Amino acid sequence: MSNTFQKQILPWLLPFVVLIVWQVVSMLEVVSPSLFPAPTAVLESFYDLVVSGTLAEHIQISLYRAFVGLLIGGSIGLLLGILNGWSKWSFFTFDTSIQMVRNIPHLALLPLAIVWLGIGETSKIFLVALGVMFPIYINTLHGIRSVDRGYVEMGRMYGLRGWQLFRHVYLPGALPSIFVGLRYALGVMWLTLIVAETIATSDGLGYLAMNARQFMQTDIIIVTIIIYALFGKLADMIAQVGEKNALRWHPNYRK
Amino acid sequence: MTNSTEEHGVRINVSQLQKSFGDNEVLKDVDLTIEKGQFIAIVGKSGSGKSTLLRLVAGLEQPTNGTLLFDDKTIKKTDASVTMMYQDSRLLPWKTVIDNVGLGLKGDWKDRALSVLQAVGLSEFQKEWPGTLSGGQKQRVALARALIREPDLLMLDEPLSALDALTRTEMQDLIEQIWRDNQFTSLLVTHDVREAVKLADRIVLIEDGEITLDLENPLPRPRDVTDERLVALEKQVTSRILEEEPSTSH
Repeated sequence: MSNTFQKQILPWLLPFVVLIVWQVVSMLEVVSPSLFPAPTAVLESFYDLVVSGTLAEHIQISLYRAFVGLLIGGSIGLLLGILNGWSKWSFFTFDTSIQMVRNIPHLALLPLAIVWLGIGETSKIFLVALGVMFPIYINTLHGIRSVDRGYVEMGRMYGLRGWQLFRHVYLPGALPSIFVGLRYALGVMWLTLIVAETIATSDGLGYLAMNARQFMQTDIIIVTIIIYALFGKLADMIAQVGEKNALRWHPNYRK
Repeated sequence: MTNSTEEHGVRINVSQLQKSFGDNEVLKDVDLTIEKGQFIAIVGKSGSGKSTLLRLVAGLEQPTNGTLLFDDKTIKKTDASVTMMYQDSRLLPWKTVIDNVGLGLKGDWKDRALSVLQAVGLSEFQKEWPGTLSGGQKQRVALARALIREPDLLMLDEPLSALDALTRTEMQDLIEQIWRDNQFTSLLVTHDVREAVKLADRIVLIEDGEITLDLENPLPRPRDVTDERLVALEKQVTSRILEEEPSTSH
């Protein structure tokens, strides 16, 4: 009983209290409602946005950018990580360059991306891809390199070569680390998207927020922030489910 | 396993084998002929070079000098099946027990895997993850993984030294029984002299990279470790190892 309370109810207590206090403060009009709208007002504009279809439209385009960026950047990071973990030649050819690029904050490339690629989809997807690439690269590289040499030797002894060795030994051995990279990359993905969408765009969640700012629609700004939070949490949960499923052999992930 | 009629085993010929790591000469001119189907034990202290010899025979290292022949063929040309049991079982934790046994095999191996698991007494564990098994059970799976390939040479690199005494005795009996059924050549590297005299037909002592003792052990099987002749043999090898050690003189 107390266990259910601790696990199921306690974590939600604080957000709930905050919400109540927020509502009360807004109703007392301590600060201007246009700066500090009540939760009910936020809910109301959320409802309006849903009904008018605006929200779905913006969410759709934002998710598209996030997903395509993740797919492109993630694939490149994964591939380079595997390659550089696998082959010393590849590592010495690419790693120094990758580390140099990695140390540039990728958002600093935003102006350049706009100049080169315009304010269309390409520049946003480019930035997201660039942002998610490095955490996945580094963690994949680390994962491949920290695979127990004993397993590799055993695998060779038992006739595994090339692709077989990779599929049965290196990849599963590196998977826990790759998932760490993926979950970190998801965070970077949202961050990049928010920044890219607030600066140069005409649609997406970031645009919705910036547009609302111009008209002092604080409630809409808060709606977009909450949606970002929800999607961030959702993405992490999906990654966690994948992680649990792929790593069910691992003692740390067993129920 | 036992019903296969084809003959297993391989004759191994090591001559003037030498291995150096940098300036450190680990093996010096080792000559050794292991007969087909023989169970040979290599004993020696850590750092004596016994593991290096095993790794050379396994093809995991290249010798600095000398030759290594399997049935009079160089190691690269041999089609002999060589398998190995390690001190740490080296089961892949991300594969179930049965998939570990069938690692790298082609075709339909599931039935064979089940029958070798049965032979080591673990068929009911086939769907488990290795992480849930005890140390002894893991080594049984590792043994099954080595046996499914119907080895001509089974190499045992201190496979039992991490196990408790009771499990170790059980495993020794199991290995002996399986070896007798299949008659493959066995090369056991161990620092446990009792294990060596219990299992092997022949005991070779390596000290400082050289063979300093080579004893036949013709005692009938199955052997009882309390058998006087066995105890005497164990004593003989042990005292030979100890007399080389200057620091243990009282």
